[in-house]
Amino acid sequence: MQLTLVGLSHKTAPVEIRERLAFGDGDLDQALKSLTSRNGVSGGMILSTCNRVEVLAEAPDEESIREFLCSYHRVPTENVTNYMYAFRNNDVIRHVFRVAASLDSMVVGEPQILGQIKEAYRLAQDAGTTGMHIGPVMNRAFVVAKKIRTETAIARSAVSVSYAAVELARKIFGSLEGKNVMVIGASKMGRLAAKHLKRNGVSSVLITNRTFERAVEMARVFEGAAIPFEQLGDHIDRADIVISSTGAPNLVITKPQVERIIRRRRNRPVFFIDIAVPRDIDPAVNDIDNVFLYDIDDLQQVVDENLKDRMTAAARAEEIVDNEVEAFCSRMQSREVAPTIVAMQAALEKLRRDEIERYRNDLGPLSDGQQEAFHRMTQSMIRKILHSPISKLKELARHPDGQEQVELIRKIFNVQGK
Amino acid sequence: MLAARGETLQDTAGFCHGPPNLEFSVNSGTAADFTRPAGWTDGVNSARESLSVYNSGMHIVLLRVALALYSIGLLHSVLTVLSKKYTFFRSSLVAVVAGFACHAMAIVIRAGELNYMPLTQRYDAFSFFAAVAMLGYLIAYVRYRIVSLSVFVFPVVFLLTFIANVAYDPSASTIPAAIQNNWIYIHTPLIFLGYAALSITFAGSIMYLIQEHGLKSKNRTGIYDRLPALEVCDDLSYRSLAIGFPLITLGIISGALWAQLEWGQFWGTDLKIVLSLFTWLIYLALIYYRLITGWRGKRAAYLAIAGFISVLISFLGAGYFGGLHSFTG
Repeated sequence: MQLTLVGLSHKTAPVEIRERLAFGDGDLDQALKSLTSRNGVSGGMILSTCNRVEVLAEAPDEESIREFLCSYHRVPTENVTNYMYAFRNNDVIRHVFRVAASLDSMVVGEPQILGQIKEAYRLAQDAGTTGMHIGPVMNRAFVVAKKIRTETAIARSAVSVSYAAVELARKIFGSLEGKNVMVIGASKMGRLAAKHLKRNGVSSVLITNRTFERAVEMARVFEGAAIPFEQLGDHIDRADIVISSTGAPNLVITKPQVERIIRRRRNRPVFFIDIAVPRDIDPAVNDIDNVFLYDIDDLQQVVDENLKDRMTAAARAEEIVDNEVEAFCSRMQSREVAPTIVAMQAALEKLRRDEIERYRNDLGPLSDGQQEAFHRMTQSMIRKILHSPISKLKELARHPDGQEQVELIRKIFNVQGK
Repeated sequence: MLAARGETLQDTAGFCHGPPNLEFSVNSGTAADFTRPAGWTDGVNSARESLSVYNSGMHIVLLRVALALYSIGLLHSVLTVLSKKYTFFRSSLVAVVAGFACHAMAIVIRAGELNYMPLTQRYDAFSFFAAVAMLGYLIAYVRYRIVSLSVFVFPVVFLLTFIANVAYDPSASTIPAAIQNNWIYIHTPLIFLGYAALSITFAGSIMYLIQEHGLKSKNRTGIYDRLPALEVCDDLSYRSLAIGFPLITLGIISGALWAQLEWGQFWGTDLKIVLSLFTWLIYLALIYYRLITGWRGKRAAYLAIAGFISVLISFLGAGYFGGLHSFTG
């Protein structure tokens, strides 16, 4: 196995460097062909996202890959080498597994990266540059990523304020289907939360703003209904979720108002999300039964706790990666020595037959039983001669530094590995 | 089937209002004799004899197997909630379903051997309650797929089954004459199925309160993220109440009719009957507030919990109150 990976990511390089080395989707086919046409490179795959550029290749050294990256983008090597990382063999596998499982992402556990890797792999397949080993590595990486996703809490909870709002709404209402949202004010955060809620199934969005035109414009985006600010009180009863983010200096929604609302709603619960600073909704509203109020700090706290959970899950995920890398490498390597073993056996078997043939006449007439015994004897000798080298080979295959010694055994027996 | 005479129950006198003047004795305990609708079709009181019954012991073996399986199910359901790994829950579900099958078989065998409703002894009643509670859970699970509900129901089922096991007394094997009546086939299943539904109401209410507290206080520790959404808890409580309440209502009505036909008055005087009425009033209030004033959530949950505590007191206390509803062994 001769795997090499060279790349740079948000952890090692600023965006100015990353963008200079990034590949456009349209260029990849060309780039892959150029990569694999280089001397010693027998396969390759390129992953290029806004956070990372990585070249995975079946190549004996990282220098040629680094050169490829720089010459392809016409960037002087010395300018970017310091921003790059390079891995070989087992470390490549570990890195690929970690990236696919989103352990190396800016937001650990974010789900996009796996899709991006799958796409990059598909492009390499289309270009016919996946070589011998890239396929098995990638397929295993997808399995490991899925395993980590299901077995750890790495991607289970919301890590952005707007998504935390959705998560809480789900905790209150279960399904968001058939629920109505009212957005008061047209701030960016309010829009974002409304967008997430809409995507998660809420059936209608009511929008109100002091400047009615902005409400109308936003209503168009969300396929909702705009309501004049003065009529807020007439419509708020309908809303199961209220997102408030006005720039008002004092309270927009007071406790007596909410008490009235909840009576008119016959105690059906309401979730108030106050993401305005200064706050729009009286904090005492939270004391009313069936009313749940979260302000920006509460949401941030949810996010912080979720992030903490994610870190714990990431530690567990790293363990899974460790085990998987070990299992995968030993599988790959024992697969690698298998042809050597077969070749050794075949070579000695041939030797045995040739020698019997050569001395057959000198042996004189033999009975069937004697012939049979003769064969058994010679076969048994070969088995015994090979026993120790074969078991040693299998042992070396599992060892990370066994490669050279495997090579030595091949030389001694004068056989090829493949 | 074996029959023994001569064991009349002391209770009988307390319940047969008016002297048991009509002698109607069962001659030798065949099934038809004591399950015959003696007395209630013509409204004539009759004094029957207690009957001792055949007991193979098979049912208790099955019940112990069920108990073992329930303990496995309980353990795995706790592990599920602690570890958030749903593979544990699969084992839990398999164990309790197998346990429930054994349990149901135990009850059927027991019923066959008694040739009567298996509810007259403490052992039978606890076993039956446990079985219907498990049935209630399984139905709720099929409908709602709430994993965490198991953590609230399985311990109750396990405990009831355990008590049944401990309370088992092979020597106590008579059925008191006073309750040898076909009404028992209507009255008790209605009440017990009602209990099963109401125990789900109870579990749903507890889950609601825990979840509500977590959301209000913004303190998300414990099993907060392993519980279903608030509205799901509320819906579960309400629906199971909507099933349980009519069942206990019909159960109480059938009991009253039984008493009327047998003894000429609707209400007996034992404490259980009084407590049951009290329980029924709590649930009536709950239904009323839910329907008329739109109560839901926390207040409804508190009332549902109060109702179920009342159920438990009247059920668990039955053995100590004396009277018609006490156990015979």
